[in-house]
Amino acid sequence: MRTTAPTLTCAAPWQRVPTGDDVVAVAERAALGTSARVAVWPPGSIGVACAAVDDVLAALDQQASRFREDSELSWLYGAEGGVFMLSDGLAEAVGVALAAARWTGGRVDPTVGEALISLGYDRDFAAIDQQRGEPSGIPVPAPGWDRVRLDGPLLRLPPGVRLDLGATAKGVGSDRAVRAVMSATGPEGGVLVSLGGDIAIGGTPPRDGWPVTVAEAPDDAGPPLPQLVRLTGGAVATSSVTCRRWRRGGVILHHIVDPGTGRPTDGPWRMASVAAATCADANAAATAAIVAGPQAVSWLTGEGLPARLVGDDGEVCCLGGWPPVSGLPVPVPSGSHVYAGARPPGGAR
Amino acid sequence: MDADRGHPGGRVPLRELGDPDPGVRARRNSIRKARRISNWTAAALVVGTGTAAAALAHQAFPAAAPAAGTAGQAGGAGTSAGTTGASPQTASGPPVSHSVATTTASGVTVTTTTTSVNGKTVVTQVRHAPAHTDD
Repeated sequence: MRTTAPTLTCAAPWQRVPTGDDVVAVAERAALGTSARVAVWPPGSIGVACAAVDDVLAALDQQASRFREDSELSWLYGAEGGVFMLSDGLAEAVGVALAAARWTGGRVDPTVGEALISLGYDRDFAAIDQQRGEPSGIPVPAPGWDRVRLDGPLLRLPPGVRLDLGATAKGVGSDRAVRAVMSATGPEGGVLVSLGGDIAIGGTPPRDGWPVTVAEAPDDAGPPLPQLVRLTGGAVATSSVTCRRWRRGGVILHHIVDPGTGRPTDGPWRMASVAAATCADANAAATAAIVAGPQAVSWLTGEGLPARLVGDDGEVCCLGGWPPVSGLPVPVPSGSHVYAGARPPGGAR
Repeated sequence: MDADRGHPGGRVPLRELGDPDPGVRARRNSIRKARRISNWTAAALVVGTGTAAAALAHQAFPAAAPAAGTAGQAGGAGTSAGTTGASPQTASGPPVSHSVATTTASGVTVTTTTTSVNGKTVVTQVRHAPAHTDD
């Protein structure tokens, strides 16, 4: 049995973001290969909130980053299989990823690490040569999440299995950050945390809910035009194949991989936004919807998840009570699938 | 035998319950009175303490309903049952009219460089424009 790697911290400066409302404070900084945003009321809590989020992000990055050589996850790669004693944080993140795989029928699978590397997504996205001439490697189907065993903090990882927690880790981070902020600021007020567009809220929301824009990219102006929804509870997350794309041998690739083929998904939906009780649920469901392709509508409907799907042609499909027009609240299911189901897969099969 | 002792009805007064002299009776009445006052005082203290505790608890935890489905549920159990948020809940938050965040794909990218300085790992991050206009 191996023990965990040492820890370290990192932080980028927070920048205040003016929104036009003085009753809330918003700040943003780079984190986890994307951006982190915090919104709080009362606005005087922003400093404490950002500090609390810093701690969460530093820990999550140290635990679950695939691109840091000194992360706990990278340390697992280097060991090439075995039994590992994980930190509590990584154990939870892996448990959520396995539960999400079980919940989505394997549409999101944390064992796609090798598939992503074969496609060329082998480092922080900004460091990828996005126009490399030679083709990508041979597609590597995911070995399968059910080959991984997690019993409390003990992880049994077969040789050659590389974990990638990209479909759930940002959601886990947003959930943790909201808890941390509420713990640091007390029960008064409310908080919204976004990690790369995966958003969780806590405390008391503003009147009528937190106003949240739904768009393919942070600076996107459509089509389809961005929609504004109100979030009064839970979380919302978005996955899209139009971001994080690169080219290998003239072929455009993206980061959402079908675990069954090891290739980027090629379904009818280019973007999926899903509301759920927790951000990890929403994060997993949004990615699963992209992977599910034609089955996305039936799966999301069966799970009772409000969702907004955008087809390749730009047509918008609203499901499960997702408001068809701007300005309305999103109904959010209660109860989590991925946290409640974050138990060792061996015990459930 | 009782009759022999001159106490009819079979009752035999205990020695302490006999008629005491006036001094003893006055002392006992004083003690009884003091006990009665103490009981009322204790009861008042209990009621007062409880009322104060309830008032403090109400101030510490306002009656406004907590945000349904917050991350606090993350560790909770159960699967989907009902929905929340279909209508604005009882919130005491301020009105916010402008969007505070965007749910989107992770389009903003950051270059992360890890170096070792004096035995400590330093992570430098450089922000880049989104990379989604490549076709």
